[in-house]
Amino acid sequence: MEKLSKKDIRALKIGAIGAAAIIVFVAGSKWIDHWSQARRSLERVKAKLELINVDKAKQAGLMSIVPVIEMPQKEETQTVLFRNKLNEQLKKARINSEPLQVLPGGKTPRAGYKLVRLKCSAKCQLTQVFDFLAGMNENPYLVGIEELRLRCDPQKPQEVEMDLTVSTFVK
Amino acid sequence: MSGNAHNADKRLCAIAIAHEENEFKAVEVRKQGETIEMLWAKSGQDSDTNWLSFAAECGLSIGLTEKDKTDGDKTTVIGFSSAGVAFYNIGLPAAKEDELKSMVRMQAETLLPLPVEQMELTWRKGRVRNGQVAVAVAAARREYLKDFVENVCALNPAKILLDCEGAVKAWKELFGGNEKDAVIVNLTARSTQVCLAEDGYLSNAIILDMGIEDFLEMADNLPDSENEGVPEQTEATERFIFDVKSALEAFDYTEAAKLPIFVLSNGGNTIKGIVAYLKSAGLNVRAALPQIQKMRAQMDFEIEQLYEYRVPIGLALMAIEAPADGFSLFDRLYRPAGVKQKRAILYSPKIAGAIAAVMLAVFVIISYAIDVASPGVIEESLKTTDSSTDINQLMQQQNLTRIVAMERPNLLELIKHISESGDSSIKLESIHFKKGQLVSITGQVQSPDQLYKFQESLMSKSGIKDVKIQNTSRDNKTKNVKFTMTFHYKNFTKKGTRT
Repeated sequence: MEKLSKKDIRALKIGAIGAAAIIVFVAGSKWIDHWSQARRSLERVKAKLELINVDKAKQAGLMSIVPVIEMPQKEETQTVLFRNKLNEQLKKARINSEPLQVLPGGKTPRAGYKLVRLKCSAKCQLTQVFDFLAGMNENPYLVGIEELRLRCDPQKPQEVEMDLTVSTFVK
Repeated sequence: MSGNAHNADKRLCAIAIAHEENEFKAVEVRKQGETIEMLWAKSGQDSDTNWLSFAAECGLSIGLTEKDKTDGDKTTVIGFSSAGVAFYNIGLPAAKEDELKSMVRMQAETLLPLPVEQMELTWRKGRVRNGQVAVAVAAARREYLKDFVENVCALNPAKILLDCEGAVKAWKELFGGNEKDAVIVNLTARSTQVCLAEDGYLSNAIILDMGIEDFLEMADNLPDSENEGVPEQTEATERFIFDVKSALEAFDYTEAAKLPIFVLSNGGNTIKGIVAYLKSAGLNVRAALPQIQKMRAQMDFEIEQLYEYRVPIGLALMAIEAPADGFSLFDRLYRPAGVKQKRAILYSPKIAGAIAAVMLAVFVIISYAIDVASPGVIEESLKTTDSSTDINQLMQQQNLTRIVAMERPNLLELIKHISESGDSSIKLESIHFKKGQLVSITGQVQSPDQLYKFQESLMSKSGIKDVKIQNTSRDNKTKNVKFTMTFHYKNFTKKGTRT
C-alpha cells in the first residue's frame, strides 16, 4: 500500500475535523433545542408558582374582597347554586324581592368562563340594603355586581326601590 | 541502593570562577564517587581582563548555547565576594517554614541598615535549642547585586554563590575540616574572611581589612613555626588579634572559647606565624593544611595550587554536590537562561485555560441538569407537601380569585362616600351604578352652594373622579334645586369595562 503524503494527511485531518464539527453541530442543536424546551417548561412552572405565591399583604387584600370562591361549574348547576345562595342572602337581609331573573351574560368569555347574570328587584329599607351588600361577598358563586339602582321616595326616605344585577361564571 | 550506586558512579563536572581581590581564578573540577579531579585551573589579573573575557580565555562559551542546554553534567558557578554581604544570626521560635519566613523578614527589617525594599536577603535555618531556632541571615544591597548580575549573566552560570561558602566547603573537603562547629580564617593578600561554620555550613562571616600583605613586612620577625614560643607582638598583629576576637564576639557563639579556629594554610611561614600570634592570644587555633592526596590532577598540581584555588574549588564542589545548600541571595535577581521559573501550576496559561474550559463545561451541564429537573422536582415537592395539592388547580383557584376581586365594586363604600359628602339638607332621590357607565346621582338641594360643596366633597373622596353636575332645575313647588350628578368610580365605570 502506498504511503500517504503530507498533503493527504492534512486533507484527512481537515476532513476529520469537519466531520467532527458537523456531528457536534447536529448534536449541539438538538441539545440546545431540548434545553430551550426545558427552560420554557421551567418558566411555566415558575409563573404558576408566582401566581400561587402571592405576597401576604396582597393575599390578605384579596381575601377581604373574595373571602370564598368556588370553581365555576356547568351553566345549569352554577346558575341554580348561585340563585339559591343569593336568595338565601336576600332572605337573611329580610328583603322580599321579586322572583330572580336570569339574564344572558356578556358575549366575550373572561378567563375562559361565560358570564350569567341574575336580576333582583325589591322594595326594602335602606338598612336592609346595607346589610345585604355587606354580606354579598360571602356568596361563593358571586363574581360581581353589574348594576345597582336605588330609588328613594322623598315622602318615605328610608324606603328604597332596589334593582340589582349580579353575575357568576359558568363553564 | 541502586540510586546511590548510580550517583557514586556518575561523573559530574563543575566550573567555578571567583574574583579574589585583583585576580580572577577559575577551575574545572570533576567528581566521581569520592574522587575529586582537577581538570584545569587558570587565573588572570583583573586589570587585563573582565569576567567575560576571562571566561573566554578559559574557553567558556558566552551566553546560552545548545551545548549548555544538553550538557546536563556540567555546571558553571560564579563566586560573589562576601565583602558586601552582611550576616546576622537571630533566634526565633520554632515554627513552620512559611511562618518562619515572615518572622525572619520582620526581624531583618529591624536589623538591616537600609529599608528592606532596597535589600536582598536570604536565610538558612540552623539547629533548634530550647525551642528557639537559630537562623542565619545574609543580606546585601540590591543594586550592588544587580550590578554584579549584569557583569556575569552572559556567562549563564547555574548559580551565584558566596565566596566564603566556597572557603568553608574547601575546608571541609580538602583541608581536613570535620568539626561540627568551627571558625575558618581564610587569608587573602589584603583581607581576611573569618567564617563561622555550624554543622559544616556557613552561618556568619566577617571580612577583616588585613591580609597576608600586612604580615609580609614582618616576615623576618615571624617565628619559623607555631611551636617556637610566643612571638613578638607588633601593632599589626595586635590589631589582627583584636579584630579576630571582635569577630568571634560578634558571632555571639555560646561557647566561643572552645570554638576551634582553623586558618587555611599553604604551609608557608607567614601563615604559621599568624597562627602562632593567634594562639598566643589564647585562642584555640590551628593551621589547616591542604590534603593534596584527596585530589587528582591531570596537570602539575601541588599544595600551593590547591591553596591558591581553594575558593573556586570549594565553589565547584558545592555546585557538584548541593548547589541549593548555598545562601540564595541572587534567586530573585538572576535565573539561568533555559531554566524556567518554578511556578504554581495555575500560572500555566494552558492548564489555567483547560481548567476554565472544564469548569465552563461543568457549569453548562449543571445548568442544563437543573433546568431539566427543576419543573418535575417543584411539582413533586408540592405534591409531597400536600398530597391533595394540584399545582394547576391551585393556580386556577388563585387566578379566579384575582379576576373576581377585580370584578367586585365595593358599593357599600361608594354609598358611604356619597352620604358623607352631603349634609342633611341634601335629599338624594336615586343612585345608579352600572359597570362601564358613569355613576349617576339625582336629588334636591336648597341652594346651588350646597350643590357645589357636595360636588367638591365628592371629588375629594378616593376612587371618585370627574364629578360633574349634569343637570339642574328648580322645583316650582319646593323651590329646591333638582340636580343630576355623574362621576367615575374606580375603574368599574370606565368605558371598555365589561357590561
